[in-house]
Amino acid sequence: MRRALILGLLLVGMQLVLPLGLAGHHSQSLLTFGFLILAAYTVGEIAVSVGQPRIVGYLFAGLIFGPSLLNVVGSDSVRMLAPINSLAIALIAFLAGAELRWEEVKPYASSIGKILAAEIPLTFAAVAGLMLVMRPFVPFMADAPLSHAIAFSLLFAAMGAVHSPAVTMGILSETGARGPVARTVLGVVLVSDVVIILVFSAALSITQALVPPTEAGEMAGSAGMLAWELGGAVLVGVLLGGAISIYIRFVKRELFLFAILVAFFGAEVARLAHVETLLTLLVAGVVSENASPKEAGLALRGAMERAAAPLFVVFFALAGASLLLSEILSVWYLVVPIIVVRTLALWQGTKLGARWADSTPAIRRDVWMGLISQAGVAIGLATVVGEIYPTRGAQLKSLFLATVAVNTFLGPILFKRALTRAGETVSGGMSGAPAPAAH
Amino acid sequence: MTTGLTLVVLVAAAFFAAHFASDRLAKRFLIVSGAEYLALGILLGPLVTDILTPGLVESLAPFPLLALGWMGVITGTRFNLQELVKIPAVTYQAAVLESAFTFTTVTALLLFALSWAFDTSISVAAPAAITMGAIAVSSSRQTYSVVSAHLGTTNPLVRQLDISAGINAVLAAAIFAWVLSAYHAAPAASARPLTTTEWMVLTVALGGVGGMLFHLFLGAEAHIDRLFVALAGAIILVSGAAAYLQLSPLFAGVAFGFVLTNTSRRRSEIIAALLRIERPLFFVLLVFAGAMWRPSLRAWLLPVLLFLTARAAGKIGGARLTARTLGLMPVLGPHWGWALLGQGGIAVAIGVDYLQQQALPFATIVFTATIASVLLTDLTSARLAHSVANTLAGVEEEKK
Repeated sequence: MRRALILGLLLVGMQLVLPLGLAGHHSQSLLTFGFLILAAYTVGEIAVSVGQPRIVGYLFAGLIFGPSLLNVVGSDSVRMLAPINSLAIALIAFLAGAELRWEEVKPYASSIGKILAAEIPLTFAAVAGLMLVMRPFVPFMADAPLSHAIAFSLLFAAMGAVHSPAVTMGILSETGARGPVARTVLGVVLVSDVVIILVFSAALSITQALVPPTEAGEMAGSAGMLAWELGGAVLVGVLLGGAISIYIRFVKRELFLFAILVAFFGAEVARLAHVETLLTLLVAGVVSENASPKEAGLALRGAMERAAAPLFVVFFALAGASLLLSEILSVWYLVVPIIVVRTLALWQGTKLGARWADSTPAIRRDVWMGLISQAGVAIGLATVVGEIYPTRGAQLKSLFLATVAVNTFLGPILFKRALTRAGETVSGGMSGAPAPAAH
Repeated sequence: MTTGLTLVVLVAAAFFAAHFASDRLAKRFLIVSGAEYLALGILLGPLVTDILTPGLVESLAPFPLLALGWMGVITGTRFNLQELVKIPAVTYQAAVLESAFTFTTVTALLLFALSWAFDTSISVAAPAAITMGAIAVSSSRQTYSVVSAHLGTTNPLVRQLDISAGINAVLAAAIFAWVLSAYHAAPAASARPLTTTEWMVLTVALGGVGGMLFHLFLGAEAHIDRLFVALAGAIILVSGAAAYLQLSPLFAGVAFGFVLTNTSRRRSEIIAALLRIERPLFFVLLVFAGAMWRPSLRAWLLPVLLFLTARAAGKIGGARLTARTLGLMPVLGPHWGWALLGQGGIAVAIGVDYLQQQALPFATIVFTATIASVLLTDLTSARLAHSVANTLAGVEEEKK
């Protein structure tokens, strides 16, 4: 309550200061950025006090103070903070990869593979089927021929199968959970990222064959380009990860600065080499973690977690600020069934895969709750569709982003619940993460 | 491999080579670390590879602004009144007198040199000359570490250097905050132009009120990760507000840190959280400084050389004069001013901030003087401090 009151005072102070300064100057985004962090911190604490994850609070803070509601952080500020967002995504991807130390993941490899093999096809089929059933009510499919409707349904379903590495890492960092459920969810989420990019590319090729893009739209890249985007990302990631492991093995200094440089540098290299950024950093994280001595890897992971702590706040608060409430409300009658069907498909698919792998009861019961979240990758895929099909693709993107918005809030709540139920959360931490080694 | 990627790899390799070379040199010849980051900035900037294009530097401008505020807060937290009252008043007098002497010498000389060399009026040259005076006042705290390693932390010279570095930093930040207040453009939305005093009060109020509110905001929070996030938010807010008003984020940060350190019960945790990214942010500032540097040989040589000479004369002469005036010669020795020659992060912060103020004249000269002074003193300051400590240790040994 005290913090909320001070936040109110800061808001009043900001309104007094704003007329005296240079509107549109980059420092204005810094001002609103600082306010957003404090607001997210406050709402995050409120969320914890009612038993919810902090990141849900961060998302709510973004939503409340973002363009949808109070507009303290306007769309211009959100745009100007994009470089920080990109840095956060790169750091999160590297951190996620660094969590996959083979000796720790090995016991869950079978569960991860079989859960993936069951949940992706089931979710894909269920969402695609639902879209076809709801065709008369879906704006971009209502008047379209059946072949077009099938194509867009496949595209929507491919995007619907995406999970969120960022939310997963956010919750793992917050709770400090590293048990079987946590590791299985992380494994499934990270591997599915690669699989789904392939599925999406296949769905996009089918769609482009059935519905050739108009002149205003752009053709997606060739198969060769896609192969380079993925294969090149693995190659660049391996090289980057190798270089990082050499650094942490022989130099092992200034790790905090090094962590930020890795994220910035890795994202830049990926951009220049035209390869998938997220996958590059993810692979770099996996390689550096597995090629380094355990202690050195832990030290880098600790530095990364410290660098990522404020970036998580920023990332989720900005994600909340990017949500447009009016767009979600305008299509609620489509969003609700999509979310229900996707959730049911994930639940059953995960259960099926876990039973097939003969996993522990906790994995069978709780892992699906960690797979609900959707964020960065999903939004990226929707943007691609929007660019290729400026009219119908944009409508598809709006509907998809509305479902992502709801899943972004629902996912962390369920995942934290799953980890608590499985007894894997650790008290203390950023709210739990084990204290990283000091450097 | 694309040209861009080749450049990135080349720059990375050059940086690590420079980093390791400077690391070895630092150990062997007592060179303070930092110059390699400036060199990295120059390598990445438009002068060499243009990876950090002016547009990219502009889009990443919030980072150096944050670094300015962060450095200010760290400076402010060093002024804990409960601890400061235990130190004899003469220590502060010596620090202030030395600062005043250095400031007056450098400002007066640069004022005439700039107006003569560029055939302009004294009033036009004033902001640049005063800012160079402020930069000259600042001194590195790194030398304090070198001397304290030799003489121990209780030695009067060590204490004097510690206090002098702190007072120098605050005075330098305050003088530059005054420059920004005095040469402030009138805001379009206000009914009348604000006076210099009003802008100065606003700068202090941003930090002071921010510090008080943040103290209340934190409450009993003691967890360092959460403290760090909240601190980052508060410092970004204060720095952003100061920069938005075209005031000094550095001095607003000093006020913020001062209030926080004197009101919070979590002082040690706050300082630990602040120090967590002090070095990275300083390095970021150096990289940006390197990337933003645009030398112009014809224009800068004379004023920069004059600045370097005047500063050295001001520091060494001012320190000697101060010690003589206050009767501190037996304690501090005649050469203690040599240990104040290290330039330090505050100078870079003021240089970068000055360069970002589009309305102020001679920005390139001020910035080049800063860069040259930082590079030069990085190479020599620790050795000079070391020799001052050795001399004093020898004198004390003889007395025994």
